[in-house]
Amino acid sequence: MLQYVKVNIDGAIIRAIRGTSVLHTALEYGICIPHLCHVPYLSDIGACRLCIAEHMVNGHSNVTTSCTLNVEEGMVIMTNTDKIRKLRRNLAELLVAQAPNSRAIQDIAVRCGVKEVRYPFRNGDCVLCGRCVRACNELWRAKAKGFVGRGKERHVDYPFGARPDFCKQCGACIQLCPMTIPPCDGPMKPGEERLCGQCESQLMTNEQAPGGCVWCKLGEGFGCGRYVGSQAR
Amino acid sequence: MSRLNSTRELEHLREQLREQRRNITTTVMVCGGTGCQASRSQTVIDAVRDELSRQGLDTKVRLCVTGCHGFCEQGPVIIIEPGNIFYCHATPEDAFEIVYQTVMRGEVIERLLYTDPVSGEKIKTESEIPFYRAQDRQILSQNLMVDPCSIEDYIVGGGYSALTRALNGMAPDKIIKEIKASGLRGRGGGGFPTGHKWSECKEAPGDEKYVICNADEGDPGAYMDRCVLEGNPHLILEGMMIGAWAVGSRKGYIYVRNEYPLAVEHSRIAVKQARELGLLGDNILGSSFSFDVDIARGGGAFVCGESTALMASVEGKVGEPRAKDVHTVIDGLYHKPTVLNNVETWANIPGLILKGSSWFTSKGTRGSKGTKILALTGHIKNTGLVEVAMGMPIHQVVFDIGGGAVNGNPIKAVQIGGPSGGCLPLDKFDLPIDFDVLSEAGSMVGSGGMVVMDGRTCMVDVAKYFLTFLQDESCGKCVPCRLGIDRMLEIITEITEGRGKPEQLDLLEELADTVSQTALCGLGKTAPNPVLTTLRYFRAEYEAHINEKKCPAGVCKALITYWIDPDKCTGCGVCVQGCVYEAITGSKKQVHVIDTQLCQKCGICRSECKFDAVQTVWKERHQDVAICQS
Amino acid sequence: MPPQTLEQIMGGRRSQPNQLIEVLQDIQKTYGYISKEAMQAVSQGLGVPLIEAYGVASFYKAFRLKPSGKNVLTMCMGTACHVRGARLLLDQATGQLGVKPGEMTTDGLFTIEHVNCMGACALGPIVKENGSYHNHMSPAKLRKLIETLRHHKTEDNQNVQTQ
Repeated sequence: MLQYVKVNIDGAIIRAIRGTSVLHTALEYGICIPHLCHVPYLSDIGACRLCIAEHMVNGHSNVTTSCTLNVEEGMVIMTNTDKIRKLRRNLAELLVAQAPNSRAIQDIAVRCGVKEVRYPFRNGDCVLCGRCVRACNELWRAKAKGFVGRGKERHVDYPFGARPDFCKQCGACIQLCPMTIPPCDGPMKPGEERLCGQCESQLMTNEQAPGGCVWCKLGEGFGCGRYVGSQAR
Repeated sequence: MSRLNSTRELEHLREQLREQRRNITTTVMVCGGTGCQASRSQTVIDAVRDELSRQGLDTKVRLCVTGCHGFCEQGPVIIIEPGNIFYCHATPEDAFEIVYQTVMRGEVIERLLYTDPVSGEKIKTESEIPFYRAQDRQILSQNLMVDPCSIEDYIVGGGYSALTRALNGMAPDKIIKEIKASGLRGRGGGGFPTGHKWSECKEAPGDEKYVICNADEGDPGAYMDRCVLEGNPHLILEGMMIGAWAVGSRKGYIYVRNEYPLAVEHSRIAVKQARELGLLGDNILGSSFSFDVDIARGGGAFVCGESTALMASVEGKVGEPRAKDVHTVIDGLYHKPTVLNNVETWANIPGLILKGSSWFTSKGTRGSKGTKILALTGHIKNTGLVEVAMGMPIHQVVFDIGGGAVNGNPIKAVQIGGPSGGCLPLDKFDLPIDFDVLSEAGSMVGSGGMVVMDGRTCMVDVAKYFLTFLQDESCGKCVPCRLGIDRMLEIITEITEGRGKPEQLDLLEELADTVSQTALCGLGKTAPNPVLTTLRYFRAEYEAHINEKKCPAGVCKALITYWIDPDKCTGCGVCVQGCVYEAITGSKKQVHVIDTQLCQKCGICRSECKFDAVQTVWKERHQDVAICQS
Repeated sequence: MPPQTLEQIMGGRRSQPNQLIEVLQDIQKTYGYISKEAMQAVSQGLGVPLIEAYGVASFYKAFRLKPSGKNVLTMCMGTACHVRGARLLLDQATGQLGVKPGEMTTDGLFTIEHVNCMGACALGPIVKENGSYHNHMSPAKLRKLIETLRHHKTEDNQNVQTQ
């Protein structure tokens, strides 16, 4: 039996299902909170930190990831304050500097308001979002791949580096990966190290087209590239 | 010894053991802690034991192999009671004299006494030594009286009487009230009020609860937990028993880091002995309280000092922290309510219960009560473990207890609180050791590690060191910590190599701020502290690296060269032989010269030269005689 | 490897996933590293997916996945040792032996490791060699130590005091 609680997200009083996360609730309602490692049918780990929001408790705010925060009666959440927007922009900047060739990451960066990247670009091929690992462990339960190593050495791998025979070849890991979409090598071209904002993300599970966005006013607020871009058309 | 079935039987055993020792006239306490072991104290222990046996003194004299005394640099350390005679740098060859002269005839051996570095005088007793005199060694002094592998020693000294009091007359609520009233705050770094933590756990729903002792002590430069756990494991066990009784737990774990094999061994022995006496197990001392403890070993990960990562590690998983939107007192080990406290916090509990909260609150400041053990190391005369009442100003610790600077190099800064803490400059040394005051200044008490730095330390290099450490230890899960620390390190490395730009300092601050606000766990959140404090208090050094391409302390390799002072060089040839890169040339009695193209700045020549002729100079001033530091 | 010893290590811990780290510790101590076969045996015996066992072994510094040299030199890189020049020791060792930390020399004689604090801070810089602690080390002393170990024929080390 579903239980409901009332939460306040950016001023909107929303009836949320108890046991769900703030991120899930916001997305369902049409409030866009940028995210990367969140996939609706997989567990949430709070690794990318893009979905951060301010949770108001006893007069002061805690910056926390909305995907790991479950809704409670009377909760007050602010997803789009100046502080959050700046933090999110800096995080997206770090991501895109790490993996500039990914269209999905570029798109996220533009949507989060990244205009210039102040770090040297690195041609990384993985942002460790963990989507593939969770898909392998939770969807088809093959448990063929996982995180190996720690810190800077952390990477996704098979046991001992070889794809085991119990890998079911379901392709879920490939489908969910933000890096496997044909890369755009724009930012890595010498002399052209910047974001042009022309690529569209194919990360969301809903159909992607400019008209598919819910046109939340907040997208306008944080200069969501999709909103601004389509306004220009 | 058979199982104790009531508190009366425990008291009876205590009387019995004291009676057995009635004939002991002298106790010789030799330190067997890791520090003195590194100074070969085991050979001293064996030699003294043999000598006592040879002289037929086994029954009258007790040889007690104790845990760490805290003054590691003076090891091997021996203390003899009665008389409180303190001998340092003991060797096996001294055993005969110690037994024959001091033990048998009560005479003091001058050459083994401690020499005060300031006055040059010999000091006879431990209590007179300035290093010890200014301290308030509530917990550390207990190390002297017990052999960590002997539960009898612990009981003879009054051990487990706090447990008795708790079981006999203090209901869980009363204990928690007492802990709350004492104002005891976590000694591991968080400084969270212990009473509140216990109270929340007790109130949490569920009847399976855990208590954990965090002996992961990952802070480099901190070794007080090792000292207390190695030297007096029963003190910790007793504290945990009282805590378990208070919150309603039946199972506890002591999580010891992999790098402390002696602490693991001593904890295991202590648990075994406690089980044998029935102090762990079902119906302890005939009460309704049942509790058992297991030892879990770490695998070599600093991040496992974080509570959720530690619990994951106990569960056999990778030490990745999880978001703490729900606290571990509600959802902890195996998703059950868990109290996790540091070794030193647990060590404070028995004394607190016995002497009461008003005794505890009589020491310390308004927000920080009791005593704190600090690991005082670095560029200072007296390094070692120091226990002081909270509120003592930093300069007193550094100068009165620490003895001040070494070789006339003026002290520049002190780093407090490990990689989560920060560096404070000399003009902030009037600040007290206090959780809130130090946090406000940008540093923190943390676990209590205090590293003193003089002019030979480059503060930019210190920031680089801590970032390198944290990058190595980061679990790598979240973006701000993994990528943020990496990029901060990238920028600081450029600065130390002379490629820094002025706008990078602003970027560094902005990035540091972002990481501290968005990281998932405490490691990431506090990782920017060393950078932020060094920027705040030592900005001039950063600017020198960026604007003048100079390292004022002469540390950053890219900005210095090694140079032989022709006025001091005697042409002895030692450095030529020592140089593995064959970068030094010079014939006998002729001034030697370093070829800077081949020189790798490894430092061998500088440490070998007896005439102090090898110097580090700023690269561009290489042609000049200007020397930046010796 | 002798199956019995592995059996002994696993004894009493079968089907208990939370014993993974303890089991790996014992294997590391007995064999000096965790081999592929050992990992698979642990995975099956404890009921832990292979990728998880592999993940745990690669996460913690205590475990090596490749065999190590006859002499393991562990250098302390803690703060107190660092301000006394521990970095120079690491540079000295890697330069003299021609390997990076964690790697084994081609003659199988040495592996260099570094650890973030061994807890003997007052006596730094510290180098741990096969169980013995050497304190107040300098690059010159380290060079001599490495040369001495290179000439050691026997396994017998008089100075071993702790594991």
